Amino acid sequence: MSSVSVAAEWEQLHDRFYRKPELYSLQWGGARMDLARHRVACAPFGGPVAAIRDDSKIVQLFAESARRKLLIFSSSGHPLASAAWDRPGGRLVGMAWSDDLLLHCLVQDGSLYRYNIRAELVGPPVSLGKECFEQGVAECVFWGNGVVAITESNQIFCVPDFKNPRPCKLADPGIDEFPLCVAVIEPQYTMSGAVEVLLGVGDYVLAVEEDGVQQLGVGIGPLQRMAVSQNGKYLATFTHDGRLLVIPTDFSRIIFEYTCESALPPEQIAWCGLDSVLLYWDEMLLMVGPHGEPVCYYYDEPIKLIPECDGVRILSNSSMEFLQRVPDSTVSIFGIGSMSPAALLYDALDHFDKRSAKADENLRLIHSSLPEAIEACIDAAGHEFDISRQRTLLRAASYGRAFCSQFPRERFQEMCKVLRVLNAVRNHEIGTPLSIQQYKMLTAPVLIGRLINANQHLLALRISEYLKLNPEVVIMHWACEKITASPAIPDAVLLEQLLDKLKLCKGISYAAIAAHADNSGRRKLAAMLVDHELQPSKQVPLLLSIGEEDTALVKATESGDTDLVYLVLFHIWQTKPALDFFGTINARPLARDLFVTYARSYKHEFLKDFFLSTGRLQDVAFLLLKESWEFEKNPMASRGSPLHGPRIRLIEQAQKLFSETKEHNFEARAAEEQAKLLRLQHELEVSTKQAIFMDSSISDTIRTCIVLGNHRAAMKVKTEFKVSEKRWYWLKAFALATVRDWEGLEKFSKEKRPPGGYKPFVEACIEADEKAEALKYIPKLAEPRERSEAYARIGMAKEAADAASQDKDSELFGRLKQTLAQNTATSSIFDTLRDRLSFQGVY
Amino acid sequence: MAQIPSLDNAPLNLSSLREQSQKELLNILKNIRGKKCLVIDPKLGGTLSLLIPTSLLKENGAELRHLSADPVQTECSKVIYLVFPQLNLMKFITSHIQNDVSKGVQREYFVYFVPRRTVVCEKIFEEEKVHQMLTLGEFPLYVVPLDEDVLSFELDLSLKECLVDGDTSSIWHVANAIHKLEFAFGVIPNVRAKGKASTKVADLLNSLQVEDPVNMGDMAIPEINTLILLDREVDMVTPMCFQLTYEGLLDEILQVNNGSVEVDASIMGGQQDGKKVKVPLNSSDKLYKEIRDLNFEVVVQVLREKATSIQQDYAEVKSTSQSVSELKDFVKKLNSLPEIARHVNLAQHLQSFTCKPSFHGRLDIEQTILELQNYEICFEYIEEMIHKQEPIVNVLRLLVLFSLTNSGLPRKNFDYLRREILHSYGFEHMPSLYNLEKAGLLKKQETKNNWLTITKALQLIVDQTGTSNPNDISYIFSGYAPLSIRLVQHAIRSGWRSIEEIIRLLPGPHLDLKRGVSNANSISETVPGAQSIIDRVADGRRSLVLVVFIGGVTFAEIAALRFLSAQEGIGYDFIVGTTKIVNGNTILDTLISTKN
Repeated sequence: MSSVSVAAEWEQLHDRFYRKPELYSLQWGGARMDLARHRVACAPFGGPVAAIRDDSKIVQLFAESARRKLLIFSSSGHPLASAAWDRPGGRLVGMAWSDDLLLHCLVQDGSLYRYNIRAELVGPPVSLGKECFEQGVAECVFWGNGVVAITESNQIFCVPDFKNPRPCKLADPGIDEFPLCVAVIEPQYTMSGAVEVLLGVGDYVLAVEEDGVQQLGVGIGPLQRMAVSQNGKYLATFTHDGRLLVIPTDFSRIIFEYTCESALPPEQIAWCGLDSVLLYWDEMLLMVGPHGEPVCYYYDEPIKLIPECDGVRILSNSSMEFLQRVPDSTVSIFGIGSMSPAALLYDALDHFDKRSAKADENLRLIHSSLPEAIEACIDAAGHEFDISRQRTLLRAASYGRAFCSQFPRERFQEMCKVLRVLNAVRNHEIGTPLSIQQYKMLTAPVLIGRLINANQHLLALRISEYLKLNPEVVIMHWACEKITASPAIPDAVLLEQLLDKLKLCKGISYAAIAAHADNSGRRKLAAMLVDHELQPSKQVPLLLSIGEEDTALVKATESGDTDLVYLVLFHIWQTKPALDFFGTINARPLARDLFVTYARSYKHEFLKDFFLSTGRLQDVAFLLLKESWEFEKNPMASRGSPLHGPRIRLIEQAQKLFSETKEHNFEARAAEEQAKLLRLQHELEVSTKQAIFMDSSISDTIRTCIVLGNHRAAMKVKTEFKVSEKRWYWLKAFALATVRDWEGLEKFSKEKRPPGGYKPFVEACIEADEKAEALKYIPKLAEPRERSEAYARIGMAKEAADAASQDKDSELFGRLKQTLAQNTATSSIFDTLRDRLSFQGVY
Repeated sequence: MAQIPSLDNAPLNLSSLREQSQKELLNILKNIRGKKCLVIDPKLGGTLSLLIPTSLLKENGAELRHLSADPVQTECSKVIYLVFPQLNLMKFITSHIQNDVSKGVQREYFVYFVPRRTVVCEKIFEEEKVHQMLTLGEFPLYVVPLDEDVLSFELDLSLKECLVDGDTSSIWHVANAIHKLEFAFGVIPNVRAKGKASTKVADLLNSLQVEDPVNMGDMAIPEINTLILLDREVDMVTPMCFQLTYEGLLDEILQVNNGSVEVDASIMGGQQDGKKVKVPLNSSDKLYKEIRDLNFEVVVQVLREKATSIQQDYAEVKSTSQSVSELKDFVKKLNSLPEIARHVNLAQHLQSFTCKPSFHGRLDIEQTILELQNYEICFEYIEEMIHKQEPIVNVLRLLVLFSLTNSGLPRKNFDYLRREILHSYGFEHMPSLYNLEKAGLLKKQETKNNWLTITKALQLIVDQTGTSNPNDISYIFSGYAPLSIRLVQHAIRSGWRSIEEIIRLLPGPHLDLKRGVSNANSISETVPGAQSIIDRVADGRRSLVLVVFIGGVTFAEIAALRFLSAQEGIGYDFIVGTTKIVNGNTILDTLISTKN
């Protein structure tokens, strides 16, 4: 049976099984790779491998250059990039991949160089500081997002966050001798949230933090090797007398202890998941668990242990293996002699394929536990690296599902989806050997990020689409890379190529890609790209930054967003000389008007310049008038004679400007009159010694004169400003009524026949509430309707009604009645009158 | 009754809209810990009174102040300014800060812009060198429900900015506000626009749908069926007419602000001590809802009937023994007594204006101007107003109406009246006249006058058959049917096409769009044929029409829309969106430049 052969590859450690499938056989691009002669850094989650020839060892050079090279491979040994390793700063102390797949290389003088996966330097080196530079780095320990360096003087420096690389110094451990071994607990697992460094010193351990040193586990050592578990809770350590100790990182107890045959410290020590610890000496890899005899593997070539969250990858010169505890579901199916439902289901499929009736028998046996059997098959399929075995397991699950309708179909589909993705990235060409557990921890978006980082855009796009993730990030990255990689392609051609792909993704930010094009020195391409951006709020700022001010102004105007127009406006204002600026905005009405609005409140003088330069003389004039009125508000400025004051001068300037334009004769005359009025009012104030004339209107000035009894002055104003007879009568009548000069009023009424009738006299009297006076003039009103209304206003209902009836005005009549309805006596008058006139449709 | 209207009966879920805004405002307060002083631009304060009770702001540790030129008096070390992004307000804020700095007072300053921060305001802070001391934020309030069927964008300067300054910020604001509504209620499939600003809004709506699409898959049927956009500029005649509905009169005489009027306590039957009381006016008041849109003449009758009926009931209760249920009915009626009293008081106050002969004189002359009869009488009437030095707003309002219906005044008259105005009211009104001219409201006659053609074609002048039981919107102005609403009627019935000839005579372009077609590539296309846009929704629901007035709407026009939707056999409801509630005076006030 096939299942037996599967389990035959397993090793047993106490009650657990381990397997070590080969993921890839390695070609290294046809060249030789001897791990023993190289410093090697392998990224977790199936990431890339970096190697630099180790110059601390004496090595024989074969057919290769004497210059050292930084080589980067995929996990499948596929060469990705290489570059000369010629960094100054002394010996390479250590290197490692960070979480975001930048290779960090720390050299002796404390400089940290960063390379991307294409072996290109990223940014300037980060320096660990002057002190570190002077002392020299002796050793370093990396974790996913930081590094700790120990100097020759036993001081500890740290970059706690690669994304924001600011070096800091940890507390002085106060030791004279270099520590025996070093390990770090990542910030995410410590109480303080800052990195904690463990130093094996003497027979104890020093835990060093930024602000303190703590002595732990006295008498436990001396310790030769340490390794912290994936979850930061346990420490595996190798003592000077050949014992392996597993202890919690607070050193409270010893969880288990194993005495090795050799007291020679192992070259490498690593956790395999959380269940066992691996020790590697030359040619021998020992796996120790808490119980039972360790498992021993032999290698005739050097290896490198790469801890993962669920096992250890083992890199050798010729292969990449994955040492992992066999998952429970797999054990339940393939375990020798397993009679679990899952094993029976798997067996049933085998029988079914052979057309054996035993298939049905098996199914009957496990009927009640069919769902768990299906689940186990699906789960086991997920853990398989072998595609044909995945398929068999999934077929078993699918076979079981046919008899188990309640099993959720999504679970099956979900797993197929995941496996498709995993198999795709495990492909030798891509070389990302993720286990399902690693994939879940890494998450699909991060995986896609790694793929695009490795320029695997097509695969990344396919996966995005397959998993229904937004492909924007992929396409965006592709476009930027394409621009970077295509300096020789003409703009128009490249634009076509880009657009062809960009249109796949709705709502993608063309502005961001255009910004990249601009940064890559392709301003013209940037301009072409930004033209496709849909969101003006992104497009306009970018157009400004690439110097396309005119287009920016057009786009901002089209967008209707005045805020964007202002943005462009201020930009041009700052960058261009005033006259150019005026010219630019004058051609664009919206920009021009917005500028005027802003300048009206904040840049008066500049606005005048603008109006002058664009020939808007009348607007300058209005600004001058405004200024002149502002003097009036300001009591300080209005002191002294207005004749010599600046007010009149401003008004006269305005008048001159108005008269220079054709269309503003009216305003020119008005300004002229205003200046004249101010002079006249000034004279009046001087002659009357009363400061009550300034800034009142011509009509008010006349009224004031009459009220003061100065009829001559009133007459003078009248003639000066050619006040019409009509207006004159209104003004004088009201003014006389104000001072209750009834005699004067009557005299005035008799001077001659008033040009506008006697209405002004009636109104003035009624307004002054002087009925008797009003009655003198009401009969002289020409219209019966006017008479009627006037009578009504002074409460003489009968007379009002009589007048109304003369006019035969039914509407007026009705209204009068309504107004006076409260008074029953008047009401009856109306009734009789209505009867007499027989009005229709009146109340 | 609260000033914040109940929105329970709204045809759209406007309460969720309001709650969202409330939450956003409270979050701003909550995110600034400790005691703080909230300084609100007074105009915005009015808006907020429709949104959130001040007690709720105080509960969140905010001391409230109004923004003015004077420095803020507070002990708080944190000062939050909540302002519209208007240039003059920035001056106040900078002067406050500079004042604090000169006195050595250290404070944290936050400036929250409504609805968004703008480059130009930040520029002012930069120039005044206070930029570094401020934390800037946004309170994205684009729409405020004024009542269950009225939304306001709170842009009271929109008309002046568009027509005089050429600043079209409000157009962008309106488009965004409508787009926000679309996120809540679905993409509006039919759009009809008339006027420069309106067609621009329609264009912007389309580009917004491209930039930041409302996912149409999520919504089964868009809740709003049709959007009608109208520029105020298209019909400036209507707001210049004196409103005669109850609500309109209240606004004309007492100024309705943010859903309430402020009157002397004595008017409302209180003490005669000069104190003011605020009377909320919205549809939460059942009686008000019933009478707000009636012609005022009818309102007086209705109120009289109500009062009499209660009086009669009261007499019956006193005289005869009644069953308990009858008594209960009576007591129920008594509950409405405060409402009746409130409106009787207000109506009485209004009546003291409407019974004046001058009021009727004015209505007569308005009618004469609208009907283009007797140019001379109208001209002399206005001339006399100027000579009598009546309030300039009243003069200009009639003059504008006169100029609009005559499509300008003959050169001689134009110059003469302008000169008389300057002589009577002072030369500082030169910019006011210039503004009116720029806005096209007052001009000299140059083109052919189309007003009569328009009134005839759209039947704007209707012989009154009686205001008590009207069958046409012309009851609103006792014989004049508002032009804007006639346009809405046509837009709904058969689109612009049927009145193509007439609509060309009105200012600005027009546009007819059908949007949200399933084909994603063509988001909009022009509908060629005239067709009724009110496709009855299958389940018999009434369809909803959003009518947006850019530049403001009057209460009278809202009343006309409500009247229309209440007509039998009409299967749609209206929601009105407006930059602000306006009337002739408030429009002219924004155009008249005062000395300050």
